[in-house]
Amino acid sequence: MALLSRKTAQEISELLDEYGIKHGPVVDSTRGLYEKKIKEAMGKGKRTKYEPLPDKTFYREEEDEVTYVYRTPVRSEGAGDYRDSGSYMSSRPNWNEREFQQEMSYSTYARPRSEYRGREYVEEPYLYDKTSSYRNSSLTSTPIKSGQDAPKAPQSKSRLIPLWVQFMFFLAVAVFLYIVFSSMETNESLEGIE
Amino acid sequence: MSTTSQKHRDFVGEPMGDKSVMALSGIGGILGKKLEEQGFDKAYVVLGQFLLLKKDTEMFTDWLKDVSGANSRQAGSCAQCLKEWCDAFL
Repeated sequence: MALLSRKTAQEISELLDEYGIKHGPVVDSTRGLYEKKIKEAMGKGKRTKYEPLPDKTFYREEEDEVTYVYRTPVRSEGAGDYRDSGSYMSSRPNWNEREFQQEMSYSTYARPRSEYRGREYVEEPYLYDKTSSYRNSSLTSTPIKSGQDAPKAPQSKSRLIPLWVQFMFFLAVAVFLYIVFSSMETNESLEGIE
Repeated sequence: MSTTSQKHRDFVGEPMGDKSVMALSGIGGILGKKLEEQGFDKAYVVLGQFLLLKKDTEMFTDWLKDVSGANSRQAGSCAQCLKEWCDAFL
């Protein structure tokens, strides 16, 4: 990214608009502040108006289904055809490419999934060593993560009484009860006194 | 309603005229000196900056912290003071 201080006031103004930052005129006294705001926005990785969501999130919903649907037959196919490296290898490049190609190979491998369920889970680490699978799982995880980050963040700090205070209170109550309990006299000792 | 200081009430109660920057709520001797060094020697100049930032108290607070080293409370107090003044007189 070009040095912000080299940009014209007009460009700074446009950048602020792109990041959705409400601002006044970019003059000498306000420029420093606005440059700082833009840097913060860039650092946070905020989306600008002109940057579309990356393709991977574009297809997130479909990717979900495709990954899920596609995984099992591939697993079963991989598990079953492990010996048969030829067909296995030929399907892998397809998997890296388009969805419809993936679905095509799915349709050609109509194996029953149930018998491979047990093995699938075990074989997963081997099969998913490869970058494509990693990409698939990260594809599904990252968009969800970024979406959940925002709703989750505000919820983290909302305790009236800090957690450690609650723990201390609980411990104090427990110790108190223990003392009470241990100082209780049994029937036997009473009889002994008499 | 938040409690306001006497200084705040004094400032917001009348047009600022030529009042010094130290008449602003939250701005004491040290901060006032820093602002004067930057050229903001009168309250109305700081008002000018507030208006340039479109009366956005958050932006103004950030700016004031950067330019004078004010803390959040001081900068927030000054921003609120100016905002109320604007609501009353601008």
